[in-house]
Amino acid sequence: MPLALRDLQKAFAAHLSGEDQPALVAEILPAAQRLRIHRHHMLDSLGSALAATFPTVQAVVGADFFRRLARAFIGQSLPSQPVLAEYGAGFPAFVAGHHAARDLPYLADVARLDWALNLAFHAPADGRLAAADLAALPADELPSLRLGLAPGTVLVASPYPLDRIWAASQPGAAADPVDLAAGGVRLLVLRRPDDAAFVALSAGEAAFIAGLGEGLSLEEAAGRADTGFDLSACFARLLGLGALAAAQ
Amino acid sequence: MDPVAGIGLRAPHLAEIARERPATGFLEIHAENHLERSEAVEALRVDYAFSVHAVGLSLGSVDGLDEAHLARVAALVKRLEPALVSDHLSWSTFGSRYFNDLLPLPYTEEALAVVVRNVQRLQEALGRQVSIENPSCYLGFAQSTLSEPEFLAELVRQSGCGLLLDVNNIAVTAHNLRLDARDWLDLPGQSITQYHLAGHAVNDADGETILIDDHGSRVSDGVWALFADVVDRFGCRPTLVEWDTDLPALSVLLEEAARAASVGGRRAARAA
Repeated sequence: MPLALRDLQKAFAAHLSGEDQPALVAEILPAAQRLRIHRHHMLDSLGSALAATFPTVQAVVGADFFRRLARAFIGQSLPSQPVLAEYGAGFPAFVAGHHAARDLPYLADVARLDWALNLAFHAPADGRLAAADLAALPADELPSLRLGLAPGTVLVASPYPLDRIWAASQPGAAADPVDLAAGGVRLLVLRRPDDAAFVALSAGEAAFIAGLGEGLSLEEAAGRADTGFDLSACFARLLGLGALAAAQ
Repeated sequence: MDPVAGIGLRAPHLAEIARERPATGFLEIHAENHLERSEAVEALRVDYAFSVHAVGLSLGSVDGLDEAHLARVAALVKRLEPALVSDHLSWSTFGSRYFNDLLPLPYTEEALAVVVRNVQRLQEALGRQVSIENPSCYLGFAQSTLSEPEFLAELVRQSGCGLLLDVNNIAVTAHNLRLDARDWLDLPGQSITQYHLAGHAVNDADGETILIDDHGSRVSDGVWALFADVVDRFGCRPTLVEWDTDLPALSVLLEEAARAASVGGRRAARAA
């Protein structure tokens, strides 16, 4: 009895997920081994997609290690839709919990940075606030202003020197080892016209940005920063970076 | 009709194409790579005709199309106004899992009804005809009652779609399933809107040779010969040279496209 199309696709899907499907196997011409070609292509192409989205992770661990990590992730988390640039949101958490990455405690944070850069790259261009947008605002209203973050802008904080790890993994970078004890970073990831990038923030700037992200006014967010925080300098820097947007 | 050949626009070549604006018949993009951040591609619209090739609509899915994805593809098509929109005779989604492969369908009346319904829904959402590409197959199903060309001809008749005839895929499928490539010459030629050419890999699997449609090399001699037969049979159509893995220098792609245009031109001249 041949499988109805729904049962055939269900069995094929289960086979791709690694399950034995004798009823499907009985249908395949000229030989059931041909099914392997599809499973191999699925794993290989999704692995390549993850490598493109997480280039720094791959540079840190090498192609072979990355392929094993990717296959384990794919095995438990297939894409839910066909846009591969949007696949891998769960990869940083997966890396954090994976036994093979136990000796690389910074690797999950590297994956978070790669994912943030990927999201920023694909973020829409509009919605950025420029200094001119605020020109008409009376100066005494500025402190109570509430702003949001521009599309793609996100803070990635880590106890590891992610910026140095990233720089060392770029093509042509010097092979000097990165001192993992160099200290933590707070990186602001941003969309730029041709790419995505990050800048390092001070503790005060990061606290301020985090406050804005929670919906605080400029003055309230500045209160989150340490003493000596220069609100106007920080605000000018963030505006210049295109990091801010009107509040949602 | 003048023979026109185009190339796939791939991210590593984008800056060079934007700067140099090389002469080529048209540019093809994969819809799923440009649903967001398509400004750089849209900026090329002034100099090039476009062909939008979707790879993820999963037209063979028994549960119908993913409407959210369909809406995003429709928005891209609206922005780019391409000369042609296409996807494959295959499926890639089941139960909200996407397998990133062009998976084969059994060629049955049941599957035909599913694909016709999905293609009609796609054409309705885009407000235009789409072209459906013959897939590269590695396996077949014992339950199939139609040949692939018969299935495609019925799909055209019932849905009003066009055909995108991938000559490399004919060669790959015919070899792998021990069929005769000439069977595809019985397709309804007037419905063919575009040809595809590409390289394939020759793999040894358990002692038998299997052709893998990897788009990773120059078009093979056998596929060039089959392409000449196809042009003799159906005439010239806009022709795309696809190259997706081990992407070569842009000049190599342009060379392959020029060869495709010249094969088409020679055959058409002889036929005239």
